Parts: sequence; structure tokens; C-alpha cells
Amino acid sequence: MRISTIALANLRRRKGRAVFLAAGIAIGVGTVVALLGLNSALREEIGSQMDRFGANIIVTPHSGNLALDYGGVSIAGVSFDQHQLSGDDIDRIRQIPYRKRLSTVAPKLLGSLDVEGRNALVAGVDFASELRLKRWWRISGRPPQGGKDVLLGYDAATTASAIQIASVKNGAADDGSAHHAARGETLQLAKDSLKIAGNEYRIAGVLGQTGGPEDRMVFVSIGEVQALLDKPDQLSVIEVSALCKDCPVEDIVAQIQKALPHAKVSAIQQAVRARTDAVERLSRFSLIVAAVVLLLGALMIFTTMMNSVVERTKEIGVLRAIGFRRGHIIRGLLIEVAVVSAAGGLLGWAGGLIASRLALPFFAEAGATIGVSAQLALFAMAVSLGTGLVSSVYPVLRASRLDPADAVRSM
Amino acid sequence: MPFVSMESVSKCYDDQESRLGVTVLRQVSGGIEEGEFVALMGPSGSGKSTLLTILGAMNTPSSGRLLVDDIDVYGLPDERRADFRAQYLGFVFQQHHLMPYLNAVENAMLPLAPLRMGSLEKRQRAFAALERVGLGAKSLRLPNQLSGGEQGRLAIARAIVNDPPLLLADEPTGTLDTATGDDIMHLFLELNRKGQTIFMVTHNPANAEMAHRIMRIRDGALEN
Repeated sequence: MRISTIALANLRRRKGRAVFLAAGIAIGVGTVVALLGLNSALREEIGSQMDRFGANIIVTPHSGNLALDYGGVSIAGVSFDQHQLSGDDIDRIRQIPYRKRLSTVAPKLLGSLDVEGRNALVAGVDFASELRLKRWWRISGRPPQGGKDVLLGYDAATTASAIQIASVKNGAADDGSAHHAARGETLQLAKDSLKIAGNEYRIAGVLGQTGGPEDRMVFVSIGEVQALLDKPDQLSVIEVSALCKDCPVEDIVAQIQKALPHAKVSAIQQAVRARTDAVERLSRFSLIVAAVVLLLGALMIFTTMMNSVVERTKEIGVLRAIGFRRGHIIRGLLIEVAVVSAAGGLLGWAGGLIASRLALPFFAEAGATIGVSAQLALFAMAVSLGTGLVSSVYPVLRASRLDPADAVRSM
Repeated sequence: MPFVSMESVSKCYDDQESRLGVTVLRQVSGGIEEGEFVALMGPSGSGKSTLLTILGAMNTPSSGRLLVDDIDVYGLPDERRADFRAQYLGFVFQQHHLMPYLNAVENAMLPLAPLRMGSLEKRQRAFAALERVGLGAKSLRLPNQLSGGEQGRLAIARAIVNDPPLLLADEPTGTLDTATGDDIMHLFLELNRKGQTIFMVTHNPANAEMAHRIMRIRDGALEN
């Protein structure tokens, strides 16, 4: 027989109370687990929604700019000490410590080229990464595959007479292959090729109107543009999308900056701030609710333990009289609380997981999931044990301080 | 030097109504020899229970000293005094105060629970104690499955399981019928014959007569 034997026998004796206490802890922990699970799933969802906004880090060549004026007449700014970005810089970005959090790295080379006899802004892009980044693009036609395929911005396509615009009734396209470019109209390709700097390219598709600079651009495979502009391996800008739901984008920026000292790396603060604010608000709400629920659970444990100690005054007195130290009494009572808390924690974790999965469809879009997380299970156990033990400290100390003489005299 | 020696032991309790407090024991001195069976008698409120709890190392006297085996019991810190109780004393309470959720052998084993001793040895010692009080065959019964006399025997088994040099008993037959009470008293006598030192508080003159010596207490002071 050990102290633990007595503690466990006591729990068996007072099954009802133990079950009640465990259920109380389970409800508290379950609520916390469910809120954390939902919070985590919503963070994921917010994160992926934010990722749809595209890049959140922009890398450009570092250069000094000097605005000049002469005799009160303003002259265009002069760039000096200008560095170039190259293909090696992409490799360096992909080697930063937070590389696993980078979802897309999209390099670009911008330049002006002759398109169908007019100067137009041409963007050399890696179509795979560009399309992954710009998920809001609506392409009429097919996604370009690279090589001789080009993608035209809406205005560039209009200028090059590459599209016909047809009004649509009832939202149905005349041509089944055409995609909606904007509400109420559909785009159809008027021709399937065009000349850039004297070379023939296939028009794969046309972008729907975005209202952004893309409308005026012609997108060509980056290798082609580097060859046409005679800038082998050079890049104008690198857009980076970091998959950080709540990670510090500033840290990623700092790491990229360290890897590319010749470049200027900036976070698109607005998107990051919106993301952080949304997540923070959600976290604060969950934290407050979890704290209130845990406080109620702790009060319940405190009250139950106080009652238990009062009820067991004589029993504790007998144990003290026959040679149990204060430490033995404390150990026995804490073992009881720990066993009940652990059982409650386990039940709470399982119940919270189930509850959060059942509740998730009401809060998040389809596709959001809550997985079984060992970390959350350990956290639930730690919370239940911590709450149980902390809220029992006073009753347990009080029990250990019972005067055995008082207890024996009252017998 | 007696095995137990009380030197001018006094006990005064605070009284919320009177600022002076209530004196329960006054300059009690006396001793108990090893192997002696001493009965303490006195009217209600005379200080019997207070003296018993002081002898039980759980009620610090207001003044005076208690020496057991030359140990100044109240000179020990609280936790060491708990060890002293585990090592030197066995208690038999009037209401027995057995743990209802533990069976007979577990109840008997209770004083051994905090000790660093193998489970098997603890169990063997508890069985041996049960055998000594004649409960060997009922070791797995819960207290409520035992008769009043058997519960008294179990309480004695619990008190002697750690082979304490001093056995303290508070009205051990107080709640029992005469026959069962006699049975318990004979068990005390048998233990005493084998060398057990016993100090027993009782109201029952017949039981007190069975002891080697009777101490009488009145108004907190021992009578000659």
C-alpha cells in the first residue's frame, strides 16, 4: 500500500463526485480545445484567403535615386549605383531559413518592346508561378504554357485587335469555350497570333479587365523576354508569397534582405496588417472565452475540494494521528486531483475535438479541416492538470494544516 | 527514568469569551514504565482527552515537557513529530475510525503506507497484525462487513501493525456491549502480557481495574 493506493481507493469510494469533477473539467477543457481548434482552422482559412490576394513580399533591385532640377525646371530622376537581380537570387531566396513558408516565388523582367508595330510594356514571367500567385486572374482562352505562348492584358489585347467583346444575356456565353471576363460580357479571341519585336507568338488567352497595370501588359515567357531585351538571366522584380498565417512577415523580409543585400525587399504591409488584425481579434476572443470557462472550472474544482476537505476532516485527522506527514496528506489529495483532472482533460480533448469538427461548417467555408494534433492533446492535458492542481492548492494546504488534535478530539 | 515522562505539563486554550483562557491541564507530572498498562479515569471535562492528545504527540502543551524514550517530543518540528507518531505510537479511537473504502488488511496496513517498505512486507505485517487480533480469516472484508467487536479488533490491529512502543487507547470499549468490550479488554491484556506498553482512557471502572495502575484526573490535575 502506498499513498496513491489510498488516493485511488478514495476516488473509487466517491465515484459520483469524481465523475462530476471530471465532467466539469472535461467541459472546461473541451470548450478550450474546441475554441482553439476552430481558431486554428479559421486562421488557416484566413491565411489561405489572404494568400489569394497574391504576393506579400516584393523584391526589387536596390538603387539610389536623385531628383534633379535645373533652373527651376524639374528633370527626371537619375538612378545611380543600380544593381541587378538575376536567376541566382531566386535560388538564394529559396534557401532562407523560413524557406518552407514560401509558397510562390515569381520572377519578372519588364521592358518595352514592339508589339504589332507599337511600343508596349512586356512582362517576362514564369507562367506557372505567376498563375499560382494571381489566382484572381480570369483568362479567356487557355492558360499559356510558356515558350511561344503569350497572355494579353485587356487593354493590350484591345489595342492589338486581338479580341471581340460580345454582350451576354442570362449570363450564358455564345461560345461555350469562352470565359466570362466581366459581368455581362464575354471575350472571344479575334486572332491567334501576334508579332513581338518581329517574332511570331501564339495568343493563348486574354486577361479579363483587372483595373490594374496588368491590363496594359503583354505576358511572355521570361526566357523569351530576356532574349528579346538582350538581358540574359536578368530580372526586374521578384514577387514572393509567404504562407504565413500568423508568422512574422518582417522576419521573412529580413531573411531575404540578408540573402540579397543588393536588393530592396519590402512587405506589402496593408495585406499583412489586415491578416494580422483579423487573426488577432479572433485569438483575443478565443482567449477571453477560454479564460472565463477555465476560471469557472477552477472555481468548481476549488469548491468541490473545499467541501471534500471539510467532509474528510476526521479521516485526515486519523491519518495525521497515525503518522502521516503534512506532505503525505498533500500528496494523496493532489494524486486524487491529478487523476480526475487527467481523465477530465482526456475527455475534454476528445469532446472538444468532436465539437469543433461539428461546429466548423457553421464558421468556415467547405474544405477547412481540424486535424488530430498531439500538441493540442498535450496542451489540453497540461491545462486540465494545471487548472486542477492550481485550484486545489488552497484546499489541499488547508487539509494538511488541520490540527490532528482537533480532529481526534471531535471524534 | 520512565519510558514516558510528563514534566509539569499544562495546557491552556484560548477562550473567545474570557481573555484569560481556559486551563485544561495544570502542572501534570508522571510517568509510564515500559511494559506497563495504565488506565486514566476522570469525569467529563477533566482533561483526559487533552492529556491523551498530548501523549499522542499532536497537541503542544502550553508549558512543561513530554519525554518518550528520552526524546523531547515537542522539541521536534512538526514533520519529525509525525514520524515520531508513526514510529512510537499506536492509536485506538473510541469510534475506531476505520476507512470504510479499505478492506481489513488495507486498514491494518494504513500506518505503513507512508513508510519506505516493500508492498509485500507491508502486507505481511498487516496480516500478522490481523492474526494477532484474531481477524486473519476476515482480511478482505470491508469494515461494514465486520461486527462491532471485530471492528474494534481491526482498530487494534491497525494500532499495533508498526510495533509501536506505546499504545494509546481512547475509550476503546465505549461503543461496545459488555461482552464485546470484555473481548477487547482481554486482547489489550494479552498484548500487554507480551510486553506492549498501553495507556488507556476509560470511564469504565471494571476495565480500569484490569490495568496495572489507574491514574485519576480531576479539574486538569492528577490525583494521587
